[in-house]
Amino acid sequence: MTKKLLLILLLFGIYTKNLKAQTRIITGTVTDKMDGSSLPGVAIMVVGSNNGIQTSADGKFSLKVPTGAQSLKFTYVGYLSKTLTVTGNVINVALEQDSKQLSEIVVTGYGTQRKADNVGSIARVSSKELENKPVQSFDQALGGKAAGVQITIPNGVLNNPPVIRIRGTNSISLSSFPLIVIDGIATFTGDASGSSAAGNALASINPNDIESIDVLKDAAAAAIYGSRAANGVLIVTTKKGKSGKATVSYDAWVGSVKPRNLEPLLDAFQYTDLKNEALKNFGTYNTGPTGTRAFFALTNDASGNPINTNWYDYIYREGFSHSNTVSISGGNESTSYYLSGNFTAQEGIIVKNDYNRKSGLFKIDHKEGKMFLLGGKISYTNQENLAATSSGSLPGEAFGTGGLGRLAIVTAPNVAPLNPDGSYSIFNATTIGRMGNVGSDVGFYNPSTVIDLDRSNNELNTVQSNFYLQANLTPWLNLKTVYGIDYILSDNDAFFNPINGGSAASLGSAAKSLNKNKRWVWTNTAQADYTFSEKHNFSLLLGNEQQRSESDGFSGSRTTLSDLAFDNYAAGFATPATAGAVGENYLVSFFSRFNYDFNKKYFLTANLRQDEYSAFGANNKKGIFYGVGIGWEIAQEKFWTKAGLDNLFTTFKIRGSYGTIGNFSGLGNLASYSFYGTGLYAGASTLVPTQTGNDQIGWETSDKLDVGFNFGILNDKITVEAAYYKNSLGGLIYNVPQVPSAGLPSTPQINIASMYNKGYELTVNADPVRTNNFSWNTSLNISFNENKITSLSQGIDQFLTTTSGLESASISRVGSSLGMIYAVPTAGVDPATGRRIFIEKATGKKVLYSHNITTSGFLRWSYEDGTAAPVISINDAQVAGNTQPKFVGGFSNNFRYKKFDLTTTLTYQLGFSIYYGTNAGLRDQRFWNNSTDMLRRWTTPGQITDIPKLNFTDNVSNGSSFPIDVNIYKGDFVKLRNISLGYTLPTQFLSKAKISSARLYVSGDNLLILTKYPGSDPEVSSNGNSTSSLGVERNSVANGRTLTAGLSLKF
Amino acid sequence: MKKKFLYISILITVMMGGCQKDLLTPDSETQVSTLDLAQFSTVARIDGQVRGLYTGLRAADFYGGRYIVYNELRADNYVAQSSNSVTATQTYAYTLGNGAQEVNGFWASAYNTINRCNLFIEGMAAKGNAVIGDATGKNYIAEAKMIRAICYYSLLTLYARPYYDGNGSKPGLPLRLTGNSVSGNFDLARSTVAEVYTQVLKDLNEAEIDLPANYSTALNNTIRAHKNTAIAYKTRVYLTMQRYADVVTEANKIVPLVAPFTATSGVAHALQADITNVFKTPYTTTESILSMPFVSGTENAAGQSALGSYFFGVVLYSMNPTGIIADAGWKSTDKRRSFIGSRSGFTVLSKYPTLAASNYADYVPIIRYAEVLLNLGEALARSTTSVNPRAVALLNAVRNRSDATTTFLVTGFAAPQALYDAFLKERNIELLGEGFRSPDLLRLGLTIPGKESIPAVLPSSPLYIWPIPSSELLYNKLMTDNL
Repeated sequence: MTKKLLLILLLFGIYTKNLKAQTRIITGTVTDKMDGSSLPGVAIMVVGSNNGIQTSADGKFSLKVPTGAQSLKFTYVGYLSKTLTVTGNVINVALEQDSKQLSEIVVTGYGTQRKADNVGSIARVSSKELENKPVQSFDQALGGKAAGVQITIPNGVLNNPPVIRIRGTNSISLSSFPLIVIDGIATFTGDASGSSAAGNALASINPNDIESIDVLKDAAAAAIYGSRAANGVLIVTTKKGKSGKATVSYDAWVGSVKPRNLEPLLDAFQYTDLKNEALKNFGTYNTGPTGTRAFFALTNDASGNPINTNWYDYIYREGFSHSNTVSISGGNESTSYYLSGNFTAQEGIIVKNDYNRKSGLFKIDHKEGKMFLLGGKISYTNQENLAATSSGSLPGEAFGTGGLGRLAIVTAPNVAPLNPDGSYSIFNATTIGRMGNVGSDVGFYNPSTVIDLDRSNNELNTVQSNFYLQANLTPWLNLKTVYGIDYILSDNDAFFNPINGGSAASLGSAAKSLNKNKRWVWTNTAQADYTFSEKHNFSLLLGNEQQRSESDGFSGSRTTLSDLAFDNYAAGFATPATAGAVGENYLVSFFSRFNYDFNKKYFLTANLRQDEYSAFGANNKKGIFYGVGIGWEIAQEKFWTKAGLDNLFTTFKIRGSYGTIGNFSGLGNLASYSFYGTGLYAGASTLVPTQTGNDQIGWETSDKLDVGFNFGILNDKITVEAAYYKNSLGGLIYNVPQVPSAGLPSTPQINIASMYNKGYELTVNADPVRTNNFSWNTSLNISFNENKITSLSQGIDQFLTTTSGLESASISRVGSSLGMIYAVPTAGVDPATGRRIFIEKATGKKVLYSHNITTSGFLRWSYEDGTAAPVISINDAQVAGNTQPKFVGGFSNNFRYKKFDLTTTLTYQLGFSIYYGTNAGLRDQRFWNNSTDMLRRWTTPGQITDIPKLNFTDNVSNGSSFPIDVNIYKGDFVKLRNISLGYTLPTQFLSKAKISSARLYVSGDNLLILTKYPGSDPEVSSNGNSTSSLGVERNSVANGRTLTAGLSLKF
Repeated sequence: MKKKFLYISILITVMMGGCQKDLLTPDSETQVSTLDLAQFSTVARIDGQVRGLYTGLRAADFYGGRYIVYNELRADNYVAQSSNSVTATQTYAYTLGNGAQEVNGFWASAYNTINRCNLFIEGMAAKGNAVIGDATGKNYIAEAKMIRAICYYSLLTLYARPYYDGNGSKPGLPLRLTGNSVSGNFDLARSTVAEVYTQVLKDLNEAEIDLPANYSTALNNTIRAHKNTAIAYKTRVYLTMQRYADVVTEANKIVPLVAPFTATSGVAHALQADITNVFKTPYTTTESILSMPFVSGTENAAGQSALGSYFFGVVLYSMNPTGIIADAGWKSTDKRRSFIGSRSGFTVLSKYPTLAASNYADYVPIIRYAEVLLNLGEALARSTTSVNPRAVALLNAVRNRSDATTTFLVTGFAAPQALYDAFLKERNIELLGEGFRSPDLLRLGLTIPGKESIPAVLPSSPLYIWPIPSSELLYNKLMTDNL
């Protein structure tokens, strides 16, 4: 019946048209308002008629319209519709993307959901915020983008994995790094490199290939990932093709990065003077012919000028980078594809620290008949992480004598790297040449020797691939099976020169290693979606998943080069040593999700997952995890409308969730066993205890409570999301320290500790101005988190965590948060004697330290009255600062004026302290070079200053021997993480070149930091992903400041 | 519709099959799990465990170098060429706190070895003896006791007041004689110094009975304990306790009354004609009663622990020009002067000359026959408070072997004290670089001489011995610090 009617109407229309025959032709181009690219397939209708057409592949249209027609309506999926009055014969239209429509979907585990239906706490970061950034991996670009997500870039070592924390630190001994799921496969994370060059496993993905990242934060959202979800889940979805004409995109940027805010150091003249002063004060200055000669002296270079070396110039540089990505995407009704290739070459701020990536991603989705969907992806990435030698900045490296971050500040400025004859200036195998200085080392390794001759390179080959088959049995029921693999092959190649450095004493060494990490994941799901009586919407997911990971590695190192000219592992060496490592684990799971909503007004989500994991103790293999969430869309209620609140609020949803999920990230594959391991004793094998096991070991639990509300006002011009959460963490694995004299081979891991994180999150998005010529979007997020340890283990109420095994600047105590700073209090410098004043813990009394006790009357440690005092040590330390920020967040603004766009991203972390251990080194009175702070040292009685009298070899007064409160600084910062200015070229210039859009931009990263922290960057830290020793900086290299310029083209 | 059922049943089959149970209980491919005491399940594993006890002694923080380094640096024979606290400058300069790495590291290393011995002794009773037979089992348990005694004695030298101070009544060590394999409450108070010595002697006496008289190879006679090892070690322990008569009793078991001084039972220990042969390949002369082996490439000494790295290769510490090398009576022609070498312009100890390139793979001596002779000689003199002729003969045996031109005469010693002093000096020369100087000063309550700008340490000073490790104080609620 309706068909007939339509036909009649159509005929009538034709008839009318023929009758009048008064038409004209309107032409024009439809473009994207944001980037100016032409939009193909836009529907154009004459308002009030059935007359319409679609734009062609280049966005052009030509439409005959009756003269009486008043206006045309332009509609396009994902864009706001626009109706324009017909005035002339040419109408060019720029359509604006409908941000609401794009963000309407969230990706949940094993599926997607309308955002409006979701009751979990999920933050979504879109591709726009990740593309074309001067980063190696997408996680580096996430800072400040989502509430409750804290990203910390630990230093300027390229491809160093950032620290990610979702709603606080959720573990003590295991990892607090979130689960990362890429296209349905839980992927490897962390540093996959085995060299001194970091190799973030997540860098295998070209950030430009990412469509979206969804951050699952609460139990309702994350419980579907069961025993791995307690740290939150990042679901990364890569781009896929859209049906329509093929679109070719080309994105390129070039950039340059420089270290920022390097600490000013003494020059050669100041160094020589101050070190001699220190020798004299210590009573060992001796230039004479007898006795032990000891003095510092300038040395002239070949042209007769005093050598004055700035070692920063040898270790840091301005690095240049570029990145190029080409992608092709398109498809038809049944098949779509996406292909992209990326090449990027990046130089870091440390000399020879380079990063190169070649990657390719191919995705295809196909619909076969009415029932089947199938497709998959293949991605292959080759990455080179290159370094000359240790940066001293990766976890565990802080005190390495070859760390470049340290060599830059420690090496004397009055010596040069080269002798006048061009050879390396060396004193012995491990120290730089002393030149004119007598009686003391003047550095560790010669930085130039190790930079020029050593290498520590890593190559990662990564394959991520999956294949899926889905059968839509009925419109409401589908079955799906996905099989995916994730392989990382990590090759490492290192060489240490035979002249000076880590292996010079053994006449050079070379090492190679290959580590294979292989994982397969097989997931089978059944999904039913059914609506009863139009109002009862049900959705049920059932699934089974197996994940198998295996690792296998082999390494060899060889020392004593047969011929010093060679630097390859395959060359002749005297002494070989080899090693290997294997690992395996297996996780098998059954899971289910049930969603129900009544009339889009009341919502319920329940997740259930059972995980069995091979690393859990024999009696504790199986865990069950769940999360339940409810939501209420009040704006749909009649009383809301009656009260007139709907005029203000477009939506207003209250939601809450609770559940128990787990964490085992970082748990050793065989942690439950006690082991005896083999070794050698004079060539015969040995068997000795190596591991103290715990056959009860299991997952850590996180009871997550989350309540919040979302609302949109003024037609969603402003949207607000607010949440309160509390993660109560139980059964946290703690390496329960046993009494050392018990003699256990290792510290057993026990599920014993408890802790909580609670806090608030607020996200405000606003769209205050949106006109043809000008628009402004702004987004603010702020998170407040409180972390508190509630119990550790029987009889233990605190523990210390060392930085690189040496310095104990971090303490974690029951009743306060993880990783507080632990330092000995001081009370300045005694004006009468220039001695550092420490505070004795037991008595609170002032204790003065004198490194020089040859001067009569000085005790090394004495009270103010001159009587002997006990030795001050780490035992006198006190809790002296919180290293976990109270507030973290971001503030982004996007402005567009005509063809120009400006984006700014501020990130901030407030309410925390940093232990600036580097400062202790910068003031250490051994031969080490010092910061210019030392120019204010105490010299005369009565002088008021904060720098004690210099005494050669004094490593106590300024915090080298044990941490002191002088080196604690407020870490609060506001950082202009990124500012970017773009210009979209007018279409008319481009059409001749068959380019549909082009945008040029310049961008700056880390340009400005507001902070009182004196080091390079308050984000810099020495302990990587550690949970209990964050906020400590020791000899780390600086962070960089980056400028980039780029170009995005679409064809 | 039938088709759908087919799909559903296929899917359900797949899902039900979606678990490979055996993968949930992986076996280690590289280590022996302790389930069912599997580490005692074969002869090879038990043999490996015995050798593993010695590797505890050989650990980097123990005889792998550091224990000897600490005892050397506390005395006055070296000057620091490094200011790195990782390489023991705090020990050298007497700036150690409870938290110092060496204080915690050596403690943990020695107790780790003690626990290995305890676990081994218990495991042998529970299973091992049945696997390997009681006779061999007895030998092995005796070796464990020997090693346990070395551990406790070594700990006492650094962490407890010397025995002379109150006759062992001062706080000693937590005395642990049972094996620990899983977490637990290990609070334990310190026994007195005397109580720990009693246990050391008990272990050594029992070891002497059950140890084999010798092994079939010179290597094993050097790196494994036998009867004479226990006897020799007892002479050291008694000397430290100033129980001189007992030193004599023990030493007489392996030292004849008159020259030639060669052990007549068990391994035929004797001084080598040339001392330098003791410190070079194959390191297995009959003079070496117990040494720790190192093999370049496979059993390397660690860079910042090896004796060769501290004293020679890296020259972290050079010889103090005013130390024992300044002694005029130690002639330049004395063979032992060949252990004083030169490197990078410094006068250094070259007793352990193997360089990093060969991984500092010098054997580290724990007991040499020369020490036994000196222990006996000094004990003879002190126990009789006389210029004992046999004591002088023993002194000459050690001196003349390296310096035939210097012979001590009974008449050359005006008083017994002069002979005591001669023994101390001879020990300082003969055992230089073997970790004896500090224990020798401490056992007699002598002041530790200063060096460079570091002052002397009086016996009454708290610096005379090490503090107790901070970690032990923190986790062992019954532990007390040294005052």
